Amino acid sequence: MGLRDDLERYRDVGEQRRQDLSEFIQYGDLGQSLPGEVKIPIKIVDLPAFEYDQLDKGGVGQGDGGTPQPGDPVGQPQPQPGDGDEEGDPGEEGGEHEYYEMDPEEFAQELDEELGLDLDPKGKKVIEETEGDYTDITRTGPASTLDFERLFKQGLKRKLAMEFDENYIEEALRVEDWGPDEVYAWARQQNIPVSHAWIVDADSNLPDDERDRWTSIDEMTEHVERESPVERIRRKGLKQVPFRREDERYRYPEIVEEKEKNVVVVNIRDVSGSMREKKRELVERTFTPLDWYLTGKYDNAEFVYIAHDADAWSVERDEFFGIRSGGGTRISSAYELAAELLEEYPWDEWNRYVFAAGDSENSSNDTEERVIPLMERIPANLHAYVETQPSGNAINATHAEEVERHFEGSDDVAVAYVTGPEDVVDAIYTILSTESNDE
Amino acid sequence: MSDSDTERRQKQRIAGELEEPVREANHLARKLGLDPFPVKYWIIDYDEMNELIAYGGFQERYPHWRWGMAYDRQQKQTQFLGGKAFEIVNNDNPSHAFLQESNALADQKAVITHVEAHADFFKNNQWFGLFADDPNAAAMLSNHADAIEAFMDDPEVDREAVERWIDHVLCLEDCIDQHSPFSTVEGEGVERDLADIADQLDSLGLSDEVRRQVFDEEWVESQRPEEEAGSFPEEPELDVLAFLRRHGMAYDEDAERAVEFEDWQRETLELLRRESYYFAPQKMTKVMNEGWAAYWESMMMGEEGFAAADEFLHYADHQARVLNSPGFNPYKLGKELWEYIENATNRREVAERLLRVEGVTWRNFHERIDLDEVQTALEPDPALDRIAADRLDLLDADDPRVDAEELARARADDVDVNRYPWKVLTYEGLCERHYSLVKPQHRGFLKRLSQSDLERIARYMFDDARYADVEEALADVDRCAGWDRMREIRESHNDVTFLDEFLSQEFVDQNHYFTYEFTHSTRDYRATSTDVEDVKKKLMLQFTNFGKPTVVVEDGNYNNRNELLLSHQYNGVIVDARQAKQVLKRVFELWGRPVNLKTISKQLDDHDVEVARRRDREPVPEEVGLLIRYDGERITTEELPWEAVEHLAATDVDYDTKPDEWLA
Repeated sequence: MGLRDDLERYRDVGEQRRQDLSEFIQYGDLGQSLPGEVKIPIKIVDLPAFEYDQLDKGGVGQGDGGTPQPGDPVGQPQPQPGDGDEEGDPGEEGGEHEYYEMDPEEFAQELDEELGLDLDPKGKKVIEETEGDYTDITRTGPASTLDFERLFKQGLKRKLAMEFDENYIEEALRVEDWGPDEVYAWARQQNIPVSHAWIVDADSNLPDDERDRWTSIDEMTEHVERESPVERIRRKGLKQVPFRREDERYRYPEIVEEKEKNVVVVNIRDVSGSMREKKRELVERTFTPLDWYLTGKYDNAEFVYIAHDADAWSVERDEFFGIRSGGGTRISSAYELAAELLEEYPWDEWNRYVFAAGDSENSSNDTEERVIPLMERIPANLHAYVETQPSGNAINATHAEEVERHFEGSDDVAVAYVTGPEDVVDAIYTILSTESNDE
Repeated sequence: MSDSDTERRQKQRIAGELEEPVREANHLARKLGLDPFPVKYWIIDYDEMNELIAYGGFQERYPHWRWGMAYDRQQKQTQFLGGKAFEIVNNDNPSHAFLQESNALADQKAVITHVEAHADFFKNNQWFGLFADDPNAAAMLSNHADAIEAFMDDPEVDREAVERWIDHVLCLEDCIDQHSPFSTVEGEGVERDLADIADQLDSLGLSDEVRRQVFDEEWVESQRPEEEAGSFPEEPELDVLAFLRRHGMAYDEDAERAVEFEDWQRETLELLRRESYYFAPQKMTKVMNEGWAAYWESMMMGEEGFAAADEFLHYADHQARVLNSPGFNPYKLGKELWEYIENATNRREVAERLLRVEGVTWRNFHERIDLDEVQTALEPDPALDRIAADRLDLLDADDPRVDAEELARARADDVDVNRYPWKVLTYEGLCERHYSLVKPQHRGFLKRLSQSDLERIARYMFDDARYADVEEALADVDRCAGWDRMREIRESHNDVTFLDEFLSQEFVDQNHYFTYEFTHSTRDYRATSTDVEDVKKKLMLQFTNFGKPTVVVEDGNYNNRNELLLSHQYNGVIVDARQAKQVLKRVFELWGRPVNLKTISKQLDDHDVEVARRRDREPVPEEVGLLIRYDGERITTEELPWEAVEHLAATDVDYDTKPDEWLA
C-alpha cells in the first residue's frame, strides 16, 4: 500500500468512472469543452455529496478597486471557499472539477462505437503540391535535383566515343609517303574519331628519320596493335570526363493528387421570440456534439453559424447559442444566406452539412414555397432539421413535418425531434445515420 | 556516499540554517501575545511535500484512491502553476510542520511565522477543543490506516468492497453534528442501553417486590427503542453517520435483503466518522484561522523585519501572490476582517477616551476635536519606533514598554538589536510600535468615525473618569486594546459567528464586497447587493454547515417499513438534485433498505421566465415539496403536498439577495 498503490487505484477508478458519453451529451456540462478538445467530467473526483444547487446559491465577490452595482453582470462565479476542502494552502485554487480530455477524433470514434455509426468521410478538395517520388525529369531545375549519375554516364559515353589511340595514329604517319591527309582519310575509314588538325599537329612534331618506318599501312597494322579505349582508360586512369550542359537532367517529383477530407458545417438556429430557454439549450446539446463529431471525422472542418428570425445573419460561435431576438420567423432567410456563404466552399471541393434547428414555427407557406426548393438547390452531404419542442406541439409548428414529408426516403435529408435532453442522443443518431455511405 | 546520505546531509544543513529563525519566530510570537503549541519542524523534499499535501497533511492514511487523485492534481498544479512555499501544519500537540527543502530562506521564514500563528490558533480556539484538548492526530490516523489495511489484507474481505464502502461513507462525511463534542458510538447500542437500565435499577436498591410489580422484564424490554413500530429518532438526528452506525444495515445482493454490518464495515464507518470530527474544526474556522496566520505572518515578516532586507522583496512577492489571487479569497477576507477588528477596536478605545474629555459629547465631538491632530498625537514614541544599537540610550529600563532584561543584554552586545529590535520591548511596547490607526494603509480609518458611531459608543459608557483635555485623554489610550480583543475573539468564534458578528457595512464598502445571483431572465450572474446584511447572508450560506445544505435523519422507520427518511432542512436554497440522487444510492448501501430524501425544490417554467423577462423582472419560482426515493433499483421523485414539508421550510431566513425591482 502507499502512494504508488493509491495512484494506481485512482487511475483504474478514473478510467471506469468517466461519464458515459451519451449521458454527458444529454446532461453534462458542455461549456468546459473547446472546439478542439472535448472535456468530459470524471464522476469520481468529487464523490457526490448533499450540495446546494449552484445556480440557486449565488455568492459573494470582491471588486478590484471598485464595487459593481446591483444589476451589473459579474461573469462566472469566482471560486468559493469550501470548494476545495483540504485544510488549505494559501493560494490554492478553488475546487475545479476534473475532466477527462478527448480530442474530437477520439470522441467521434467512441460515438461511433456507442451508437453504431460508420460515417466514412470522402476526400474532395485536391491539395496541390503534394509530391510523390522524384521520377520525372526535366532539363532545368535546382542544382540539388541534378541527376548526377546520369550526367556522369553520359560524360563517360562521350569520352569513350571521343577517345582514340594516339600512338596508333602516330604510327600511321610513319608509313612511307603518308602525310596527314592520307592518315586522316584512313582514320575516318577506320571510324577513329580523330580530327584533321590533331593529325597535322602530330605530323609536324614527328622526327624526319622516323617517317618511313613502315613501307605500307598493311605492314603497320600487322605489327602494331591497336589499343581499345577501355584498355587505355584502365591503363592511364580516367582523368577527365567531359560533362556537357546538354547531358544535364534534373529529377522532378511526380505530382500525386491527394484529396483532403474537408467539411463545412452550417449551423442554423432560430433565435426568434418563440425559442425559449430550454429549447435553446436543446439545440446546443444537439449541435455541439455534431460539430465535435464532424471535426473528429474530417481532416479540416470549418463552421458557419447563422442566426435568424425573419432575417438571417452570420454570427460567431461564441454568440451563436446565446442570441435572442424578438422578431417573427422566416426560415428561408437562413437558407438564402447559407447558399450565399457556401459559395466560398464549392461543392466539388467540400463536404457540406447544413443543420438547422428551431421549434418548427415558420411564416405561412415559407417552408413549401421557399425553404424546400432552397434545400434542393443547395447540394450537401446532408441537410438536417432538428425540431425542439419541449412542451409538445404548437399548432403552427409544421416546418419539420413538411420537410420530412417532402424528402421522405431521401438519404441526404434528416429530420429529428427533440423534446428533452433524453432525445438528444437519438436525434444525433438519426442525423448521422441518414447520410448514405455507398457511392 | 549514497544518495540518501547526500539528501540527509542536505536536509541537515537546511535544518541547521533554520534553527535560529525557528527559535526567534517562536520568541517573537510570544512577545506579540500569541501562545502556540510547541511546533516540531521537518524538512522534506518536493515529492514528499506533494505527497503530504495529497494525504491531508499526514504521513499515514488509510489506502484510498482519492489520495492518489490529490497527489496527481497536486503534482500538476505545482508543475504548471509554479506553486511553492507550501506550508503544512497539523493540529497536534506538539504541532508538526513541514518545510520544503528547495524553498528560499525567505519563504521558509514566512512559512515558520505563519505556522506559529496556526499553532496558536489550534491551541486556543475552543472549536478545536471539541475533538480533544490534547490531540494526537498522527497516531490516530496511522491507527486507522493500519485497521483498514488489515481489512483489505483479510482474505475473507474483498479489497474493492472495502474501498467502495469507504466511498459510500465519504459521501456523508460532512453529515455530522460538528457543533457537539465528539464521542465514539459504542458497540451494540441497544443491548448496551438495556443493560444500563438494568444496572441502574440494581443501583437504586429497590425491593424485589417493586421490581416485580413495576420494573419487570417486560418493562425493561419496553424501553428498547421501538424499531418495529413507531418512529425514531425522536428529534431529527444531525449526525447521520452515527445513526447509520447504530441502525444501518448492508445490502446483500445475493440474498436480496438487508443484513447486519460485518465488523469491518461497522469499524470503517466509525473511524471515518472520527476523522470527520477531527477535521471539522479546520473546516469551520478556515477564514479565521487562515486570516489569523496571514495577519501575524505579515506582522512578523513585514513589520518586524523578520525577513532580511534582501529577502524582503521575495517575501513581498510571495505574499502578494497568495493574497491577490483574483476573485473572492477566504484568506484575504479573513486577514482583512482581522485588520478591521483591530482598527475598529482601537478606534472605539480612542473615541471612548475622547468622549470623556470635559465638555465633549457625541453631538459636538467633531466640532471640538480635530481627528488629524489626534492621529498625529497617536504616533508611536520614536524611541520605540526606530530601535538600533546606537539608539538604545533612548530607552528607559523602568519603562513598562521596555524589556529591562533584554535591554541590559543588548547594551552588553549579547543581543543583536539591529536584527531583532523587538527583543528589547515588552508586549505593551510592541502594541505601541505597531499601533494600527497610524499605519499608512489605515489612514482615514480614524476619521471615518461618524456621529452615529459616537452616539452608539456614548450610550454604553459610564460617566466615570474625566479628562481635562485631549492630551490627557490620549495618554490613557490603551494601545493593546486591538490585539487583546483579537485574541479573545480567536478563542471563542468560528467562521460563522465571526462573520456574523464583525462584518459591517463599513468593512463591506471599504473592501468592495458584493453579492451576486444567477438571474434567469438574462441567464447570467449579476451583482445583486452591496448591503452588509446581504453579503453576510451569502457568506453564512457558504460557511454554515461546511457550506452544505443540512440533511438530517427524520425517521428510521419511515412508513412503518424500516425505510430511512432523510430531510433537507430547507433554507431557501435548493439542493443539487442530481448529486442528491447519487448520494441516496450510496446511502442505500449503508442502510440496506429503501432510502428517501424529503426536500423542497423550486420550479420555474419556460413561460414564466419569458413573461418575467419581457417585464424586466425576475420570475418567482414556485416552491414544491419533493420526495426522492431509491429502493435499490430505481430512483423515483414524487411531489409532496406542502403540509408534508412545511416543517422543513425556513421561516425567517431568506438567502435570496435579489432586489425586488429587479432590472427595473
